[in-house]
Amino acid sequence: MAPFSSTVTDAVRSLLLTVLVASAAASADPALEGDWMLELTSDRAPIEGLLQIERNGDSWQAWVEGGPVPVSVEGDAVSLKIDTRDLRGFVFYLDLEGRLEGDALSGSYGIESETRVNASPGSWTAVRHHPRERPTEPRPVNMAGTWKPAPGRDFRKYSMDLTPAAAEWHAGYLMHYDQPNVRCVSPGITAMVAWGAYPFEILENEDRLTFIYEFDSEVRRIYLDDRDPPDYYPHSGMGFSTARWEGSNLVVETTHLSPNTRDFRGEPVSANARLEEVYSLSDDGQTLSAVITLHDPENYRRPPVRRRAWTRNPDTWIFPNECDPDSFFRQMHNEQLLDMYFERSRRRF
Amino acid sequence: MRPLLSGFALLTTILSGPAAAHHSFAAEFLADETLTVEGTVKEVWFRNPHVRYYIEVTDDNGETVAWDVRTSSPTLLVRRGWTEDTIREGDRVRVEGFLGRDGRKLLSLISIELPDGTVLEHSY
Repeated sequence: MAPFSSTVTDAVRSLLLTVLVASAAASADPALEGDWMLELTSDRAPIEGLLQIERNGDSWQAWVEGGPVPVSVEGDAVSLKIDTRDLRGFVFYLDLEGRLEGDALSGSYGIESETRVNASPGSWTAVRHHPRERPTEPRPVNMAGTWKPAPGRDFRKYSMDLTPAAAEWHAGYLMHYDQPNVRCVSPGITAMVAWGAYPFEILENEDRLTFIYEFDSEVRRIYLDDRDPPDYYPHSGMGFSTARWEGSNLVVETTHLSPNTRDFRGEPVSANARLEEVYSLSDDGQTLSAVITLHDPENYRRPPVRRRAWTRNPDTWIFPNECDPDSFFRQMHNEQLLDMYFERSRRRF
Repeated sequence: MRPLLSGFALLTTILSGPAAAHHSFAAEFLADETLTVEGTVKEVWFRNPHVRYYIEVTDDNGETVAWDVRTSSPTLLVRRGWTEDTIREGDRVRVEGFLGRDGRKLLSLISIELPDGTVLEHSY
């Protein structure tokens, strides 16, 4: 049997890498240009993300969370088609229709999917987004404890705005065989911090925070001082992390990453990437939120953004997580695909 | 293989809740094709990255066909009360799942009916 590539991935790639739908700019409202905070509301937890709309000559272009989306503009009416995925990796679309009224966008959205997905149609709004002020005075808050995933917030934007080199590399990606987790290899912090259906625990010490993830039993030390790693510090899936308090926001910066993939689609992360996570605690101390931005200009023309939330739950156990790749290799053995698999080893993270 | 149902069956659920994949199921399974088969559990693989049940199904020609039925990670299942002992070797089960790509005998479990009529659903 020949190796296969996901037809869904191919479809999305052809749709989004080649098409940023243009509309009749002459009849469009120039006030649509700029950055917006987009929020989707339904009978499920709200979803939010950064919407960027630009006009380029006669055409309009849009991005959600750094990834391209087809956009159509006619007068003050706008429509967007956002590709996303469910927890299994099945791709579906959020079809937004709305219009500009005053200085806000609003409308309704539907779900376009080939299968049942954990999503509902609803309404949406978008308000002007201004870069947040970053306070310099540290006001640490207590984030220690056990946190379990909360639904919502994240668009799980599926495709991103890849550089030509990254797009060329990704064109040869075989989703099933090249995913690190199928062979029990950690996907690295960029993917795991945003995927998780799994809890994690934060321990506090004077000079560091320690994040203990159930996912792949990974442990992460986040230093709160200005230390630099030694020259010989290895690159790894978890990288090297430091953090600072900007007001009561914890800003974590991670470098020394080893090449890996960003999400289910397999878009690459380079060794020179920098991951920024901004954690904030709700006023009652029971909800932890994070905005996660990947700065990797080798691979992305716009930084991919993910958003997560967790709820405090001291009763949650962090389970051990041992992994056995036997069944993955057994299937390839049975299908006589092991030679193909190992011939691809050099390009596998 | 004996397809029993097409489309989505209405089944009683005793265990449900959001579950997630460690990696993309979409790489291996068709989002728009489901199948239900009935057979005997020959092997239980209750380990990461994903739990698998190997099931033998007798097709219309009387031949035995092995199906590889997959669900999520053990830690997520255990939190919902679905343990290694919930489904055992030798159990006669009926499984509905998303069909594997390229004609592979793979199912991504949607629901499984146990010998006592209990139905476990793997919701997303």
